[in-house]
Amino acid sequence: MNTLLKYWAFVRVGVVRALNERGELYGRLLFLPIILGVFYELWSAVGEAGMPTASAPHDLVWYLAATEWVVLSPPLIFNDVQEDVRRGDIACALPRPISYLGSMFCQGMGMLAVRAPVLGLGLFACALAFTRVLPEPSDVLWVAAFGLAAMGFIVACYLLLGLAAFWLDDVTPLYWIWQKSLFLLGGLMVPLELYPEWFRELGSFTPFPSLLSGPASALTTHVTTPAGIALATQLLSWSLGITVAGALLFTHVTRRLQLKGG
Amino acid sequence: MSNAVTVRELSKSFRIRRARSGGLSARLHDLIAPQTEAVSAVDRVSFTIEKGERVAFIGPNGAGKSTTLKLLSGILYPDEGHADVLGFVPWRERKRLGFHLGTVFGQRSQLWHHLPARETFALLARVYEVEPALHRARLQLLTERFALGALLDRPVSQLSLGERMRAEITASLLHAPQILFLDEPTIGLDVAAKAQVRALLREQSQQDNATLILTSHDTGDIESVCQRVIVIHGGRILWDGALTALRQRYLKTKRVTLLCDRERLTVDLPGVQVLTSANYQTELVIQLDRTTLGAVVDAVAKGSTLRDLAIEDQPLDDVIRTMYADADRS
Repeated sequence: MNTLLKYWAFVRVGVVRALNERGELYGRLLFLPIILGVFYELWSAVGEAGMPTASAPHDLVWYLAATEWVVLSPPLIFNDVQEDVRRGDIACALPRPISYLGSMFCQGMGMLAVRAPVLGLGLFACALAFTRVLPEPSDVLWVAAFGLAAMGFIVACYLLLGLAAFWLDDVTPLYWIWQKSLFLLGGLMVPLELYPEWFRELGSFTPFPSLLSGPASALTTHVTTPAGIALATQLLSWSLGITVAGALLFTHVTRRLQLKGG
Repeated sequence: MSNAVTVRELSKSFRIRRARSGGLSARLHDLIAPQTEAVSAVDRVSFTIEKGERVAFIGPNGAGKSTTLKLLSGILYPDEGHADVLGFVPWRERKRLGFHLGTVFGQRSQLWHHLPARETFALLARVYEVEPALHRARLQLLTERFALGALLDRPVSQLSLGERMRAEITASLLHAPQILFLDEPTIGLDVAAKAQVRALLREQSQQDNATLILTSHDTGDIESVCQRVIVIHGGRILWDGALTALRQRYLKTKRVTLLCDRERLTVDLPGVQVLTSANYQTELVIQLDRTTLGAVVDAVAKGSTLRDLAIEDQPLDDVIRTMYADADRS
């Protein structure tokens, strides 16, 4: 019980922090109507020109709203890990009777608990304003459930990215690679059905499709219970993989820790 | 009295990158196949510390002080050797030891910058599984002692360095640790803040009967807080004993101020240097290996009436500098 309470305390710290850093959230909210507006016009123009699209323009805008929600909500927690490693503050965190990665993950989830609803509502309002079409409640529920799971996974991946600071002074290039891979292989702008077969094949070897296209696909195609089970299995498998990788990597880096300044 | 810390033949080396000399090709070579070399930070160090003892760990930069503390707190893994801290092997049982350990790394922060100090303390109480009632009582005690009352609700990022250090030390004491590792706890503080932190550390460790290990370049920290000194240099222990014994062993000069009935004084003894002599006051430095204090007093008393006498030891800084120089020579 005590263990759960101490991790819960870090979730609360994350909530407080996200509320303190609401300026960044407002900035992201301002970006939402721009991106959705541009794509609404784009998909409408494509539709009017008679060019093939995977779905109706309004469905594609809702799809984009869902993928943007998953991409924009997770806090960039790798920056915190990187700073802890760079400044050596990790020396203060390691002797505490709590898992460093666990506490950071909980802090990230606390931040997500503020960011996801705010950005979700913002995106919902923007998409509704542009399309004037409401998606099916069951589809929204699908997006919410799998989207939140995907965000949790992304927070865990950011922790792993942060651990790279033990080798690199700046993990931003790795983040850049992660982000572009997610956008491309995950299907950020358009559903994966529009991609060439070989590209989709390539993506299926990575977790990216289950992070973006998986949750958002409910808004463009008819989803079934088996599809939901398959997606949940994929997310669980990747989560298990990332947890094991994180634990092994953390053990590795802490065993070879060299703290700057002694 | 039982031991709080037992260290046997503990060694730790780091691998550091060594850049090749030369132009662009050397840089490219470094990028593809970096050269590294092992640097010994701690070299077969052994010592024991009893429960409740206050020990200073001193040495020049890179001597291995902080590395030893980090080995003892389980942050670093040793290459060889054994350590036992309160019955735990630190690097294997870091989290279990963590419940009984308080750390302050003067150049690092254990506080959450975006949170007010009070919330940081509450979070730490959760981490260390301190009962809420106990936490409240302990926080009240430490808040009064460290004069933190007005600062508790301010975000840590808005505290001055001195205020932050008081908050850092409070954070490390909240769970009433049995052992405290303090790595340069007064670094960057002004004279008044240093004195305050030193007094608080001494009093608090006495009150809790906590073992305290402190590293510092500031001899004031050592003199004010600790009873015992371990001097480390090049990863090896040069001295381990009482502070007074260190002074006796390495004290080479004494500074003497004399007041007598002669306006100016000359002392013609080997190893005596008159620094100033005017207005019936004379300041001398005596080389203790060449003459004794008694001989100087006798010599002065022969030619004049001695009215007052003040004797100052060589500053501890000088003593330690002498030790480092001796070690470098050998």
